[in-house]
Amino acid sequence: MYQTHGNICPRNCYDTCSIRSTTRNGILISVEGDSLHEYTKGKLCPKALEDVKKVYSLKRIRYPMKQRGRFSGYWERISWDEALNLIAGKILRLKEEYGSALPLALNKYSGNFGVLHNAMEGLFSGLGPTTRAIGSPCWSAGVDAQTYDFGTFFCSDPLDMGKSQLIWLWGVNPAWTAVHQMPILLNAMDRGAKVVCFDTYFSATAARSSRFIQVRPGTDGLLALGFSKVIVEENLLDPDLGSYALGHEEFIQYLRRDIDLNHCAEITGVPVKTIRELAVDYAKTHPACIWAGFGLQRYTNGGQILRAIDALGALTGHIGEPGGGVQYGQFQTWQFAGQLQSLHPKQTTKSNGLLKSAASDKENREDRLLSINNFAEQALQCSDPPVKMLWISGRNPLSQDGNLHLWKALIQSLDLIVISDLFHSMSSKAADLFLPVTTHYEHWDLHASYWHYWVGVNEPAIAPVGESRSDLQIAWAVSHRMNQLAPGSCAFPTGGDERETLLKELGPDMLEILGLETPEEIFNGPVRARFPATAWENRRFKTPSGRFEFGSAMAEASGLPAFPVYRPPLSPPGEFPLRLLTPHHPTTINSQVYTLETEKEHFIFHLSPDVAERYALKTGERVLIWNKLGKLEGIVQIENRLPLEAVILYQEPVKSNVPLNSLMGTPNTDMGNLSLGAPGFALNETFVNLRKLNSFAPIS
Amino acid sequence: MVKQLGFILDTNRCLGCGACIKACQIKNQLPSPLKWRQLRQIEKGDKSQIQRFFLSTACNHCANPECLRVCPSGAYYKRRDGIVLHNPEKCTGCQSCVGSCPFGAPQLNPLTQKAGKCQLCYDRLDQSKSPYCVQACLTSALQLHEIRQAENNQLLRLTAQTPSLRLTRPSVFYKPPRPTEL
Repeated sequence: MYQTHGNICPRNCYDTCSIRSTTRNGILISVEGDSLHEYTKGKLCPKALEDVKKVYSLKRIRYPMKQRGRFSGYWERISWDEALNLIAGKILRLKEEYGSALPLALNKYSGNFGVLHNAMEGLFSGLGPTTRAIGSPCWSAGVDAQTYDFGTFFCSDPLDMGKSQLIWLWGVNPAWTAVHQMPILLNAMDRGAKVVCFDTYFSATAARSSRFIQVRPGTDGLLALGFSKVIVEENLLDPDLGSYALGHEEFIQYLRRDIDLNHCAEITGVPVKTIRELAVDYAKTHPACIWAGFGLQRYTNGGQILRAIDALGALTGHIGEPGGGVQYGQFQTWQFAGQLQSLHPKQTTKSNGLLKSAASDKENREDRLLSINNFAEQALQCSDPPVKMLWISGRNPLSQDGNLHLWKALIQSLDLIVISDLFHSMSSKAADLFLPVTTHYEHWDLHASYWHYWVGVNEPAIAPVGESRSDLQIAWAVSHRMNQLAPGSCAFPTGGDERETLLKELGPDMLEILGLETPEEIFNGPVRARFPATAWENRRFKTPSGRFEFGSAMAEASGLPAFPVYRPPLSPPGEFPLRLLTPHHPTTINSQVYTLETEKEHFIFHLSPDVAERYALKTGERVLIWNKLGKLEGIVQIENRLPLEAVILYQEPVKSNVPLNSLMGTPNTDMGNLSLGAPGFALNETFVNLRKLNSFAPIS
Repeated sequence: MVKQLGFILDTNRCLGCGACIKACQIKNQLPSPLKWRQLRQIEKGDKSQIQRFFLSTACNHCANPECLRVCPSGAYYKRRDGIVLHNPEKCTGCQSCVGSCPFGAPQLNPLTQKAGKCQLCYDRLDQSKSPYCVQACLTSALQLHEIRQAENNQLLRLTAQTPSLRLTRPSVFYKPPRPTEL
């Protein structure tokens, strides 16, 4: 018997697609895009197309497993009963020994962005004050930058971009990372709109654009300031600026005084003539839109880069213009009730899945908050009491964090490491217990996007594979066992109904945003939040002044310059002259792999002909890249229009026991504290050296 | 022949994402790594502009199919709508077609030891549905048309440069790429 269900792809991705899945006699047989969804439009990206294989993959872990010795690979199947006893017993012993739950740490992020996955935060809140990873490895600097400028972080409905006459794609590669935006862009081009792609390398999106501008890594902020300088010189400012902006006079003075176009051209690599031409075109074309990507702000000056781009949009009157604006992302559609992760729902202000529950974490003031980007380092410094147990959920820090040697040290100091996941990972190698979780085809959930305005329910299409359980079921079960062993030891619910729990997350705020009378109406299908299509269309901003703040007192209060300024990125240290850039690859989302068969044999280092010539390298030759933290072997591939001083290494699946992040420290971005509680990961500030390997030497 | 169905690919819209290939592989249950559709990246340019585009190609459902001509067991036939069909029941796995198709469309299926190729999802077309590849294309770059009625003044037969290829008269057209200005 055939049945169809509505699912939502839960990945850390712009598109958050609505899926129609088909089952036959309880077996998932196919998935396709939901044709009724305005953004997904019946299409899925190649990553999601293989979901059926992924759900039933032989590599999927179906039972709770215990590893005899960390990194031994000797895993044995255990029962849930035994797993829960081990976890609950350890928690109780630690609480008794230290008189506090602070030795218990949770490190969770974006493996699955479903709202019900906040059950893990809820479970930890139920244990008492614990140690938590907060912040985001992804987008923190940009989120703060837009918060200073606009007052909150919001973008237009992505369909609004279709109205634009000129679209600047700045450090974003939707052809690989937000495929559903591409038809909107291509349709705009077919109607005569011009698309200019700014990036450090000629990307798949650049190849579909009208024009490509190569910018030196980390200098985009200066380029934006250069454009603004031209706009001031040419007197192309929005005449209404005075009615909705604050501090533009000082900013304009700064541009006049401190920004020199020749210097700007020298640093950014974009000739003065091109800067002038592009700036005038941008100022004179209406509507004109900028889409600023996340990679753009993964620098130590990332927040300033975004603020400079926002300022350019505001100077020219493009902010608030239908088809215009500076788009980065949003979490206005994430105003869920937050009941799951909070112990005191009635006192809860709005919580937010993407904010890493910073709001509820802050309420629970005694929690010990560690930056997700410096987690191992900060956890090692915790002494009173030390961190003794770690739960990793929806994350793979031993692949994706920096300073992995500190992780190794942290692992040694921990009594118990629990990981809940679908597959083994670099991180599960260090775990003592592996708890198998359900995919989004096996549980109820609720999803919003950080890009489009749609919110919807994910229904289970099939029974859980093997003995896998959802995060919510796991959290209930742990609480249940804790309360059996020591009544009152965990305040999180000990059981319940997933569907009911989901409905409780649709509080009055969300119902209003979605235009629903009752929470149950969400089961009728995905709903578009009732925001106007254009962000800031009335130019009434959420800043303290209600204006677009070129000059931000909030920024100043955080110890930052009041208005956007040029801050250079890090310079390569002498012995490591090449910047390492690690952009997303179409087959993966960070360490989550979707193409099940094409694991590469070697890392591929993409070099510009200039770099290759300097090191006397040819395509196909074996090289070593290294720095003080680590080394990686791989194969050279020479390509035109790559950065002159960099190595590009895509995040694609490679058969290697050493993750590419073994080369990374943890440089922080300049912003992120305000919205996310911690700065972001400036991972594009990684530097390496390169040397040719003897082709006869064995690959170690 | 009454009609000639064929693919038209707008290279300005093709992202090279490979959704067409994967959908074909999954829905036709092809044993990996067998693919009935291939992707090629082509790049040319100078200092002022660059053309980087992708060609997603499958069986061209030629007007004069070489596979049909060489098959000793009559496993190929051409439908009235122009689709070149391969009948695996008649196929002996001799691979004459595999060796003779100038486009490498028919390939040996390692599980069945018979040839196989894009059948243009004829069973779906008979139900008025699109082929899986066309349905999967995120940007509508890949489309199926009645080729002889399509306005082809803006279309290229990129495969026609080699004279021998012209003889089979492939039923596939490409909309040429706009360059990216540098």
